[in-house]
Amino acid sequence: MLVLARSVLLRAAIARARTGRGVSLRSPYRLFIVLTIVFALASQFGTGVQGQSIQRGAPAAKQLRTPWGEPDLQGIWNGETLTPLERPARFANRPVLTPEETAKLEADVAGRQGRDQRAARGTEKDVAGAYNQIFAQRGTRLADGRTSLIIDPSDGKIPPLTPEAQKRLSAVREYMEALLQGTSGGRPGPPSPRRNEPPPAYNVDRMNRADGPEDRSLMERCLAGTLPKLDAHYRIVQSPGQVGITVDWGQGSGFVRTIPVDGSKHLPSNIRFWKGDARGRWEGDTLVVDITNFSHKTEFRGSRQNLHLVERFKRVSENRLEYTVTVDDATTWTRPWTFMVPWERESDKANQIYESGCHEGNYGLLGMLANTRAAEKLFKQGKGRDPRTMDLATGGDIGGGIERDR
Amino acid sequence: MRGLSGFKRETVVALLTAVVISGIWLAKSQTEGRAQQPQNSRSPIPRTANGKPDFSGIWQANNGANWDLLTHSPRPMLGQPGMYPDVAVLAAPVVALGAVGWVPPDLGVVEGNEIPYQPWAAKRKQENLANWLDRDPEVWCYKPGVPRAMYMPYKFQIIQGTAKVMMVFEYAGAERTIHLDQVDPYPADAYMGHAVGHWEGDTLVTDVSSFTSQTWLDRSGDFHSDALHVVERYTPITRDAFRYEATIEDNKVFTRPWKISMPIYRRLEPNAQLMEFRCQEMAEETVLGHLRKNQLVKRWEGKTMRVDVTRKLPSGDAVYERHVDGNPPATR
Repeated sequence: MLVLARSVLLRAAIARARTGRGVSLRSPYRLFIVLTIVFALASQFGTGVQGQSIQRGAPAAKQLRTPWGEPDLQGIWNGETLTPLERPARFANRPVLTPEETAKLEADVAGRQGRDQRAARGTEKDVAGAYNQIFAQRGTRLADGRTSLIIDPSDGKIPPLTPEAQKRLSAVREYMEALLQGTSGGRPGPPSPRRNEPPPAYNVDRMNRADGPEDRSLMERCLAGTLPKLDAHYRIVQSPGQVGITVDWGQGSGFVRTIPVDGSKHLPSNIRFWKGDARGRWEGDTLVVDITNFSHKTEFRGSRQNLHLVERFKRVSENRLEYTVTVDDATTWTRPWTFMVPWERESDKANQIYESGCHEGNYGLLGMLANTRAAEKLFKQGKGRDPRTMDLATGGDIGGGIERDR
Repeated sequence: MRGLSGFKRETVVALLTAVVISGIWLAKSQTEGRAQQPQNSRSPIPRTANGKPDFSGIWQANNGANWDLLTHSPRPMLGQPGMYPDVAVLAAPVVALGAVGWVPPDLGVVEGNEIPYQPWAAKRKQENLANWLDRDPEVWCYKPGVPRAMYMPYKFQIIQGTAKVMMVFEYAGAERTIHLDQVDPYPADAYMGHAVGHWEGDTLVTDVSSFTSQTWLDRSGDFHSDALHVVERYTPITRDAFRYEATIEDNKVFTRPWKISMPIYRRLEPNAQLMEFRCQEMAEETVLGHLRKNQLVKRWEGKTMRVDVTRKLPSGDAVYERHVDGNPPATR
């Protein structure tokens, strides 16, 4: 109940942020008030993890079919989980924890100061960490006590990169490090001349330069609606031969997918989509979706336009759907790999799927560019620091889960 | 046939044969006619298992409503007085476009061809029209709102589920869901509104509210406030067309409810599908180009024309003040 109340408040706060009023600029007080209530509730009543789920019941087989006879996947599904994609080293050879270990770990993470702790005030890291764990939309519970979402390979790790991919990714890393040279987050030295070069590949991450919008991350540009998307809420609607999925994710960075399940073929390979080109088919009770034709502007764990996903949606009971994805790109990994996330059904009546308004309220991107231009101007007038020596790319704390001890 | 002479018998057989053959021929030609014209009004309307019309499919309006809801002649997308004060010519931002820079003419979709603005709002609409490129949220790739999403010049897809009708729009990847079941009120404002629906015979009726004051109704500056309330009616005309009606109510902006009406057509290509028009990135140069360290767009040079671009824009947050929300000015 408590977690549910917290979730409702939080999601309401997020929904306000999504209406485009710009939570960070126009109504910071509102978010502050809501977060204060959230933390007051959480601290008063503890951070129990019970009660968020709908009771699992034995479903009547009939309920799980659409009137036209297909497996019925419709409804709102919660795919947030505390289980990371890859198994942390400290859980090597422990794919599943005991219920006692699971409960203890979940309580540990939920009770951590890190969930709302700030870096030292006034530092660059503090500014960079304006979005903390609360915004990460990561779940509070492990998926069936599992320590990784990856089920193949059995060590729960993404397979090794191909030599080609290692070369590609290290070129990007070296470029990113060059941009940080001479800042608090990088190696010592003068600003690198590489600041005047374009990145080796279309930029998707936080990068220590703000010459134009393309220098900022896809998240900051409200373009991070890419696949596969974990830690989201999903609404599925079906009609004969079509499946629609609204993906509610990342503070209003959500997006919508339509999947033909009609035997049609993929588009020609010169047509590239941010979400790829998806074609579905039924294999027994499982919806199998094949996705190709990704854009080179998208990225998933180092894979770009050659990414090939095979998604499997299988509703195993009234309130549980298993979302299994096989990830393949021979130019990136030495073998395909597969992860599975259990999705839990949420109330249709509560209807907690919110419209994405990231782009409409994106004062942040404008602010980052405008502030950098202003800093350059001041520096030229001898009134401020060289903006090239400032770190705008590292810091923040939105990745911490069971990967670390504290 | 025992009583008939051989002549009569032959005549009867010939007549019967003629009737049968012409019957087959007639039936065949009718069948072919249907196959060639699937939008024939006698084709049955697709229905769901519960007998209601099934609107699932790829659809698109085919009219000038997104340019101007009212009946309009051609006019420059952005104009200025020419040699004659009452004859406009293309203004600088679209001058290179020539005939492409003129709004295609069309009959309007508003009942009575009049939008009943309150006096302050009629003035605002004219300002919006004069400042179209600065103010139209479509230019910035903002979500289109309702009803505008329904008649933009892009495809949209309806996925009619058992309890929800999902609509996905190619433009900006916008989405809306019509809830046919009971849901809690929406806790916030939404660009695409919050829609609940029910059936009145073969008509799907929706009630849409919880809007922002940030969306427009067309490229002519027609607008609304956050008090917008839309009642839509979707009625099948044929298998491949439905009538779309929207009653628009907003007591901060209009003096009375008013109504638009238009047919919306199925895209009949057998492989019709939504493509991707993720326009956030497409609008970045327009919205943020002036904040680049090194300006990219300075000049366009063709064989017969050169256009030099000088951007003079307010810095920082003031850029967003180019947009004017649809609520009335504060009265104090």
